[in-house]
Amino acid sequence: MSYQEKNITVSLFSHVLILGFYLVKLFQMVQSGGLVANSLFSLWAIVIVSTILVNIFASILTNIILSIVHAIRTRSSEEEQFISDERDNLIGLKGMRISYITFSIGVLIAMLTFVFGQPPLVMFAVIVFFSITAEILGDAAQVYLYRRGF
Amino acid sequence: MGTSLVKNNIRKLRFHHDEMTQEQLAKKVGVTRQTIIAMEGEKYAPSLELAFRIARVFGVSLEEVFYYTPEDETEL
Repeated sequence: MSYQEKNITVSLFSHVLILGFYLVKLFQMVQSGGLVANSLFSLWAIVIVSTILVNIFASILTNIILSIVHAIRTRSSEEEQFISDERDNLIGLKGMRISYITFSIGVLIAMLTFVFGQPPLVMFAVIVFFSITAEILGDAAQVYLYRRGF
Repeated sequence: MGTSLVKNNIRKLRFHHDEMTQEQLAKKVGVTRQTIIAMEGEKYAPSLELAFRIARVFGVSLEEVFYYTPEDETEL
């Protein structure tokens, strides 16, 4: 498993955790009847900020842990080269395309909620759901392409 | 998708160059070992630049490393 593959796997798991957290909180709000603008927007902010922070810290931590593991396994101080080549870039682009397509479909579905007479809060909730789902599908596609070879 | 239509002789050429490892070739052309594995498994067709770099490492022409097999010929 290459460095990029490990990094994407960590990102995939962190996005799944964030989506889980978001859905649990959202269902708690719906059940308690507290689906109001203030609480939904604060949840939205928490989810977006945590997605950004988790992405940054997961990448840094993965880098540090992999360097330590590499040093222990090879018993040398020579740094492992975490290079990214043309295949990594192409896989990244394919993953990004899947993310964009998923998010576009999500925005369309969110707009459709208006057609069915749902309040604007539902639209915002659906947009956040699809933004995280898009990241998950993009990461999953990249992991799949890495596992298959390309 | 699946296997690429661009086939190659990388494995054979590595063998004839003092049994060069995938890691050594990867370092010489500036890619990861996984990319060499994907190319040898004919899952990934490299860019023209990378193809030239690989041919240069082995000191042969591009055609001696890579060749194209049209789809109708692979089905025969």
